Amino acid sequence: MPSWLKMIKELTIRPKVQQIRKPPEYSFDEDMNKTLSGQTVKEILSKSSDVVFREFFLQGKERIPCMLTAVDGLVDKNQLDFFVLKTLMVDLAGHPEMAQLTIANVVDKTLQSILPGLEFRKVSKMGEAINAILSGDAVIFFGESKEALVFGARGWANSGINEPVAESVIKGPHEGFTETLRINTSMLRRKIKHPSLRLISLKVGDLTNTDLVVAYMDKIASPDIVSEVLRRVSRIKMDGVLGNGYIEEMIEDFPYSPFPQIAYTERPDVLAGKLLEGKVGIILDGTPIVLVVPAILTQFLNVNEDYYQRAMTAILFRFVRYVGAMVAVLAPSVYIAVTTFHQEIIPTDLLMSISAGRQGVPFPALLEALIMTVVLEILQEAGLRLPKPIGQTIGIVGALIMGDAAVKASLVSPLMVIVIGITAVASYAIPYYDLSLAVRLTRFPLMILAGVLGFFGVSVGLYAGLIHLLSLRSFGVPYTSPFAPLRIRALLQDTLVRAPWWAMKRRPQLLDVDEPKSGGKGKG
Amino acid sequence: MKIKGSQKRNLGLILSLIICLLSLSGCWGKTEVEELAPLIGVGLDLGKKPGTYLITQQLARPKQGGTTAAEVEDRTFSIEASSAREAYEEVYKISNRIPFMGSLKVIVIGEDAAKAGFNDILDFNQRYSEFRRSMFLVLVKGEAQSFLNLKLRNGQLPAMSIKNHMEQGENLSTFPTVRLGHYLTVLGTKSTAPIIPVVNSIKSGKGGIEYKDGKNGEEIQIQGAGVLSGDRLVDFLTDKETKGYMWLENNVVHRLINTVGIGESGVNFGGQVLKSTTKYKVKDNDGTIELQYQVKASIAVDEVMGLKKQLSEAEWIDLMKVAEESFAKEIEEECLLSLKKQRELGIDFLGIGRHIEQRNSAYWKTVKEQWQEKIVDFPISLDVQVTIHHAGMSSGSAMTN
Amino acid sequence: MVERISPHQFMILGSAVLMGTTFLPIASMVTGVSGRDGWMTVLPGFVVAIPYGLMVLSLLSRYPSKNLLQISEIIFGKWIAKIIGLIYILITGYFGGLLLAQAGDIYERSVMPLTPIGVFYLGGLLLVFYLVNSGIEVFARFSEVIFPGIVIALILNMGLSIPRVEQGELLPILSEGLGPLFGGGVKVAPFAMEYILFIGGLLTFLPTSRKELGQLKTGVWRAVFLVGILNMLVVLMQILIFGPTETIRLTYGLLVLGKMVEISRTVAGVESLFLGVWLGSLVIKISAFFFTVTWGLETVFNLKGLKWNLAISIVFMAIAFGFVRGASLFAEIGFVDNYLILPFTSVWIITLWGVSRWKKGAGVQ
Repeated sequence: MPSWLKMIKELTIRPKVQQIRKPPEYSFDEDMNKTLSGQTVKEILSKSSDVVFREFFLQGKERIPCMLTAVDGLVDKNQLDFFVLKTLMVDLAGHPEMAQLTIANVVDKTLQSILPGLEFRKVSKMGEAINAILSGDAVIFFGESKEALVFGARGWANSGINEPVAESVIKGPHEGFTETLRINTSMLRRKIKHPSLRLISLKVGDLTNTDLVVAYMDKIASPDIVSEVLRRVSRIKMDGVLGNGYIEEMIEDFPYSPFPQIAYTERPDVLAGKLLEGKVGIILDGTPIVLVVPAILTQFLNVNEDYYQRAMTAILFRFVRYVGAMVAVLAPSVYIAVTTFHQEIIPTDLLMSISAGRQGVPFPALLEALIMTVVLEILQEAGLRLPKPIGQTIGIVGALIMGDAAVKASLVSPLMVIVIGITAVASYAIPYYDLSLAVRLTRFPLMILAGVLGFFGVSVGLYAGLIHLLSLRSFGVPYTSPFAPLRIRALLQDTLVRAPWWAMKRRPQLLDVDEPKSGGKGKG
Repeated sequence: MKIKGSQKRNLGLILSLIICLLSLSGCWGKTEVEELAPLIGVGLDLGKKPGTYLITQQLARPKQGGTTAAEVEDRTFSIEASSAREAYEEVYKISNRIPFMGSLKVIVIGEDAAKAGFNDILDFNQRYSEFRRSMFLVLVKGEAQSFLNLKLRNGQLPAMSIKNHMEQGENLSTFPTVRLGHYLTVLGTKSTAPIIPVVNSIKSGKGGIEYKDGKNGEEIQIQGAGVLSGDRLVDFLTDKETKGYMWLENNVVHRLINTVGIGESGVNFGGQVLKSTTKYKVKDNDGTIELQYQVKASIAVDEVMGLKKQLSEAEWIDLMKVAEESFAKEIEEECLLSLKKQRELGIDFLGIGRHIEQRNSAYWKTVKEQWQEKIVDFPISLDVQVTIHHAGMSSGSAMTN
Repeated sequence: MVERISPHQFMILGSAVLMGTTFLPIASMVTGVSGRDGWMTVLPGFVVAIPYGLMVLSLLSRYPSKNLLQISEIIFGKWIAKIIGLIYILITGYFGGLLLAQAGDIYERSVMPLTPIGVFYLGGLLLVFYLVNSGIEVFARFSEVIFPGIVIALILNMGLSIPRVEQGELLPILSEGLGPLFGGGVKVAPFAMEYILFIGGLLTFLPTSRKELGQLKTGVWRAVFLVGILNMLVVLMQILIFGPTETIRLTYGLLVLGKMVEISRTVAGVESLFLGVWLGSLVIKISAFFFTVTWGLETVFNLKGLKWNLAISIVFMAIAFGFVRGASLFAEIGFVDNYLILPFTSVWIITLWGVSRWKKGAGVQ
């Protein structure tokens, strides 16, 4: 196999075990397997300026040298001072229990009868101890003892609970997930107070050691899907997992599809709702975004506001969103096809005005549309990352001034500006950013097909896209369900229309195998 | 995960095939909209040379730099050619734009061409895929060319104006709206003769119509119709005969109608037909088969003229009965005129043959062959019933004293 | 992973394949034979599919997860089955190619006369190939999405044409007697047989539990009546609008109807939009025949995989390019329908079913 082919293969074909980047030469593992001792820990961690080592002595039967190690900033110093140092050095100094301490029994004794506090535990492995320190716990080492005590006194600055910007609602809860895993799980637990909510902890990332929780409702979620999620997540082998995108790409079914196959949310209420539908949530530490699998296409056009508004209005706005998505995909290509191939569709009067508008425009309609769409994309991309006040200026300069000037200078025809404008507005009606990106992407091939082959090209493009969508599966669930395979109940319950809550007597069907019985979403 | 592998291969294959498709294709059949000159109307006349037609093509062209949509330039060419395609070739040569057939609305047939037969030249319009069978056919007394070259007062192209008239046709129901598809269907029945409405221009001061600025342009109207045998014009129907045809063909939707000149009573009525249906009955009177037309119309009286005194309620009811009779007579007169014309011509433009075939196909099979002779004195009876719905906002008349 | 389709998908897929693009030429065909009463022959012509469909399904219940070729092998022995298989492959392959040619013909004739016909072949085949490679499940889902669209488009097309209805074109009913109706029915019956050929191969993917077998049977009934009634309406509408003479003359009458549609006097001639939908039904039909060829090759010669799919595509293209002339294409489709598909399928299925019954009765096997 030639080398370039090999490279292409490497880039395109995902390995069976999801592994990227080999572990570095530095033998991290070696350190982790050493025998536990305070001195070695100090050796390993002393080069990190944020790790503090507080050394002190305990006066028992023997004089025991102790060392309290923690990462400054991650640990709640007040708790350490109050529960550990004050207890050991001041309150209990000279206490009869203290008098019995020796190197051999110090760990068990302190854990059982000296130190108060819920979150104390014993560790005996080097790796565990270091992980605990780096995760924000404090570890107390006792002399030459092979064991140490971990004190869960995590307490760092949080960004606080805010309403997510991307998923704001008018009528509904206004809280969003934070960057801290525990806070997120607690928010979820507050929504679902039932023992069948399962939170399974895993760690991903060889170097980052990121905590990850797989959340699902036992007996509601299909066991097949849950085990598949656990299998795929545990197969991830990479150095660092810094955001949900890492996980997403590692576990999705068809990485080369532009369509999002994993949904996400920043809202605990949405996550709780999805879990109750039988989906599985993947909560990653360090990001407020929670992944929800399996995902189906229509889900990306529904928003949680639908569930808080009255059913009738929710149905109307869903319809608006579906139409918006269609317009966003098709408007430019239909315009091109109609004006360059199928002019007979245009009413004669309109034909005249389009023709008059295009007088003197130097580009063919296809090129004109492509240029305009590219400009639109540039404007969107430019405005996206700028601070808000400047972003607005971009909009005004780009859309109003440039558009108007371009029409006046006969660079583009007025109708084309309208078409592109409608397209842009329609694509904002798609609530999920991922789907709107996919739509923006599919627009281009469709436009080219329309410009070359008219409606035949558009049809071929649409059908090819449709076949692609139909062949997608997200964790075993066909992406286009409930349309195909047809599930009438799901279709009428929560897809095209949102049935009133009292009508949702049964849970949504995701898979054939796990037909939900009753007492569904609407209950409780 | 075998499926996944083949999926990937598929995707690659499809992508490369799409690229092939795109790179293979040029720009066949692609025309930018500003390169088109929409064809609005076509006129058919006989050419000077035998076997040729004078084909007039009315192309619209948006005015250069015109900001509003409606401003169009009139580009009308008349070309003598023996086939439609030849004529279009000439237009291509002259005009720098591509004539676009999809917008063709009206075919105007000149009197001479109509008399000589025009199906051959019309074949292009029903065969070529850009045309649609919903275009209108009209006859013109005189030449189609000069008609399409008329300058109208409202600045519209004559062809566009005819199309607008035609679309309003059913509100008046005084002339048949004939689309190409209808004409071909009627031809297909073989026994029925097609009929095509006649369009004419009116000069100010003629026919009791006057308008301002007669020099700046003319007005057109559609009135009367031409009867064809096959594709050859035989004779023109007058306005009244055409109206009779409309009644008998069950084509009347709304009509404005008055009874002036009918009957002896001094009171005359004007009104609007709200609804009308015509039914056909084939009766067997001891062996003689007879077709009976049953026209039922409901009319709203809008005008009462010649009323001298205030009427009591009972009298008013009686008057409305009189009105019903007068309207019925008026309708009957129109129908009879039409029937009379049909007998004179000996051409079945009323579709009597089809009516008989539909209702008594056994009998039709016996007369089918001699229909041409039979039609001249085929027994027909007429039954007109009119109901007056209301008489507007008042009863009685304003001038009672 | 064994691919399976549900009874509902079987119904929809069957309808879509049975429908194909029959609605385009059917009016001209039946009216040409039966005249004004042509519309009456459509439903009886399609109903022929029901007894045959039920026979095929009864074979399925006796030999679960086997297609008709494999069943033939069990019943007739290896060599006769191989010959039948070969005929099956040749007929379906040839007909699939002809349908591809028809796709090109429809587009070139009615909306895009200047585009080379090969582009339409290529575009259509591309979709078919993609669909076939994605497997029968995706194909079933595809028809689940597209078929309702086809039905809606058909109804829209006819509904919007109502203003163009001429008076009394349908009467008199049965003026020519019942004789011509038979001829019309014979013209329609091959459509039903194409459907039977397809489900004969599809059997492998059908569920075989008792309850689902019942659903499959109702699936056949529903598909046949749905498609039969829709096609009947199509013919009826065309006779009503064009009159019998013009209906015979118009090659694709429904497209002409599409051209005549006017929505509130502004948007007119939406046939190119409708054609987009008709392309979907064409793709379904061609894919169905593509599938039958692949099944045939797999069963008889054990040939399968991407390579052979490519080979079939090339054959389809070659056949399509052989019939760039519309008129000869029509003649050829008519010939294959009437003289190959109709006799082959009707004789094969009846014999197969009859022998299987006889063997069961005689206690053999």
